[in-house]
Amino acid sequence: MSDLNSVSNRRITISIYRSESRSYVDYTVPLEDGMVVLDAVRYVQEFIDTTLAIRWNCKAARCGSCAAEINNMPKLMCKTRIDTLPDKIRVAPMGAFTNVSDLVTDVSENYMINRQIPEFKPDERAERPWRIAQIDVDRTKEFRKCIECFLCQDVCHVIREHKADYVGPRHVVKVASLDMHPLDTLDRSEFLNREGGLGFCNITKCCQEVCPEGIHITDNAIIQEKERAVDGDYDPLLWISRKIRHNR
Amino acid sequence: MDFGSRERNEVEAGYVSRNDTIPRELKEPNPRLWLFIILIGIALYLIVEFPVKPIDGYIDPFYAPTVLVLPLVGLFRITCYAYRKDYHRHIFKHPLECSINNRHDSQKRGYTGETRLFRLENLHRYFLYGSILILPFFYLDIYKALAFNMAITLAAVILAVNTILVTLYLFSCHAFRHLTGGGTDCYSCKFAGRSRRSFFDVQSYLNSHHEQLAWASLLMFIFVDLYLRALSSGLNINFIILHL
Repeated sequence: MSDLNSVSNRRITISIYRSESRSYVDYTVPLEDGMVVLDAVRYVQEFIDTTLAIRWNCKAARCGSCAAEINNMPKLMCKTRIDTLPDKIRVAPMGAFTNVSDLVTDVSENYMINRQIPEFKPDERAERPWRIAQIDVDRTKEFRKCIECFLCQDVCHVIREHKADYVGPRHVVKVASLDMHPLDTLDRSEFLNREGGLGFCNITKCCQEVCPEGIHITDNAIIQEKERAVDGDYDPLLWISRKIRHNR
Repeated sequence: MDFGSRERNEVEAGYVSRNDTIPRELKEPNPRLWLFIILIGIALYLIVEFPVKPIDGYIDPFYAPTVLVLPLVGLFRITCYAYRKDYHRHIFKHPLECSINNRHDSQKRGYTGETRLFRLENLHRYFLYGSILILPFFYLDIYKALAFNMAITLAAVILAVNTILVTLYLFSCHAFRHLTGGGTDCYSCKFAGRSRRSFFDVQSYLNSHHEQLAWASLLMFIFVDLYLRALSSGLNINFIILHL
């Protein structure tokens, strides 16, 4: 909907969560071809109820601000076309985070968790300027596509239903991007396993399903980190070989 | 570690179980789990009690090389990342589906994830090594089937398809992926790095189909078993495709 003032005969009803009344309110908005949920929500805010609180920036699936739950599935409002949805459309704020107002949630816990992840620690002896072969950066490039919409954190049942001390999929992706960096010298899998609650993840792949960037969160980040954690914490033969090397 | 504003609801039973020796998932009244255990029990009883004797040189894959390796193969499958996803979702219902409206009962039940007793799932790689050792027997069985009949038969082709599926399933495993290059951060620093990376890419492609391969190979196993049982009972369902 390029022009919000354009007139259309076709209309849709969209149900939006309002925090003041703690209920869903129906709004009728004109429907246009190629319209996305964010268009409808913006129409409501601009022409029907200006008190509706929403957060959005780019409307191009780059900033990750307009994350919400559309018909019970965490999605970006700007990337979800109305014509892919059934007649009944319900938009709710992300339920895993504290609600600020209407569709706006407080995702600051993610920044707090992010600060606790051990930083990039390059090999000091590495020749400067750093030269990195393409085959060594290919794997981490996928993780850098993350737009931090936190849909994966929202859909994760470990965080959402069990409030467990698990850092969450977004942060495992962050750890994996650092761990797999060819110049980095740290192995963060032990940190992730012991402090980050990696064991609580039961790899049910919902995070991978909702990722708007198509990052293979479970296959390429979580399971890889789990296998590294097995190397450090669970593999009996590797444990014995480390003991022998340590005693020499 | 500080998890910020995440509100804990420890009063509710939904909190993660920390002190239970046996995970709550195994103790709660769960008909899906009971049914699964009963089915496995019946299947094991039938396999052990009613073995399929080699007929015309065809050996049932459940008995290759011996039925005694079944626990190893079973443990490999039960600790496999593909099946872990399936049973955590469909047996323990943690969560049953990603849609957030159908998950409220999960909140009221205890959750262990892959901690405590379920940490045993981390030994998956050892069951993989054991299963790789068994794999040559499957190829030996194809050879025996061909050599006994001196012909390519339908049964031999079915055995071969089963063996290929098992091979693809084994080598698409996530633990094998870690071994082939998942744990390597700098390929260009290693000997034959480019080749190793290519091998890792091929394995990663296979790995992306691991779930499909896991189920295809399991269903094929059951099909081959039923086919050979039917054959040994006298049904005329085998024919020669090509004389050798």
